[in-house]
Amino acid sequence: MIRIAAVGDLHYGEGSQGILRPGLEHLPDRADLLLLAGDLTRWGKPEEVQVLADELRGVPIPMIAVLGNHDYHCGHEVQVRHVLEGAGVRVLEGEGTTVEIDGVRVGIAGTKGFGGGFRGAHGSDFGEPEMKAFVGHTKMLSDHLAQALTGLDADLRIALLHYSPIEGTLEGERLEIYPFLGSYLMAEAVDNAGADLVVHGHAHHGSEKGRTPAGIPVRNVAQPLIRHAYNIYTLDGHREVLAAAARGIS
Amino acid sequence: MSELPDYLPERIREQLFHDPRVAEQDLKVDVKEHRVLLGGNVSSVQLRHTITEVAQELLPGYEIVNETTVVPASEPEDEEPVC
Repeated sequence: MIRIAAVGDLHYGEGSQGILRPGLEHLPDRADLLLLAGDLTRWGKPEEVQVLADELRGVPIPMIAVLGNHDYHCGHEVQVRHVLEGAGVRVLEGEGTTVEIDGVRVGIAGTKGFGGGFRGAHGSDFGEPEMKAFVGHTKMLSDHLAQALTGLDADLRIALLHYSPIEGTLEGERLEIYPFLGSYLMAEAVDNAGADLVVHGHAHHGSEKGRTPAGIPVRNVAQPLIRHAYNIYTLDGHREVLAAAARGIS
Repeated sequence: MSELPDYLPERIREQLFHDPRVAEQDLKVDVKEHRVLLGGNVSSVQLRHTITEVAQELLPGYEIVNETTVVPASEPEDEEPVC
């Protein structure tokens, strides 16, 4: 059984010391992997993410993150990434990585993702340059997500996002802001490429649980929503290994 | 910048969000007479105090009623099998 701890939207600032650390005390005994679903800072300042990095440094399980919109605000996202990586956190943007846990290869493909809306009401890259840029950004990141997922050589595959790929985990948010909370293009990418779990944040007032149209579980782990240091999800990795072996034999 | 009562809560909400000491998007702001009611989730007691101070700077003559909630960040009790 593979145990995935996940949280997003920690929104660390320069005075956030100690918020997460007590909740991390037993993490290595309870989870095999920690996923961080973006918005790790308030303004995307290196000083802010340094506070979080100091709390994460030394956590003895693999830690994998994507950045969120707040982490881009000051234009220092490259430094934010470097500070996290200095604390042992692998940061993904349109990339994948694989970790081996008890003989099971767990692949994670990550992107911030972006908005646009959902089926029947999605924005189009049409009209003003600003609108083309908005929707074009979502299309590009969704394509990168599909490529990263497809490129994983793994028994279990997880998509790690900041923005939501489905409406189901936005229930509770105001309908008017759905286009700024996610895009179905990411769900389409996941459903086409295949995955065992999708984790995202960003929707503080949304719902924790949903599924893509193809039935892949989606979990919104925005910290103000889950109200814990992280949530833990278990995946039966050995079932996947046996299934893969059976496919190989047949 | 508008001081019309209908637009004042949104102006304050936007200014709180853009203040680097706060940068909190989840705040709810309501203004009645000379009382400012603040609601929503915050990550720490310290941030909650800071929000009160910044709101008071923005509206010096107003009473600030801070009803924001500090979100707990304790360990989860259990785990969920997803597949």
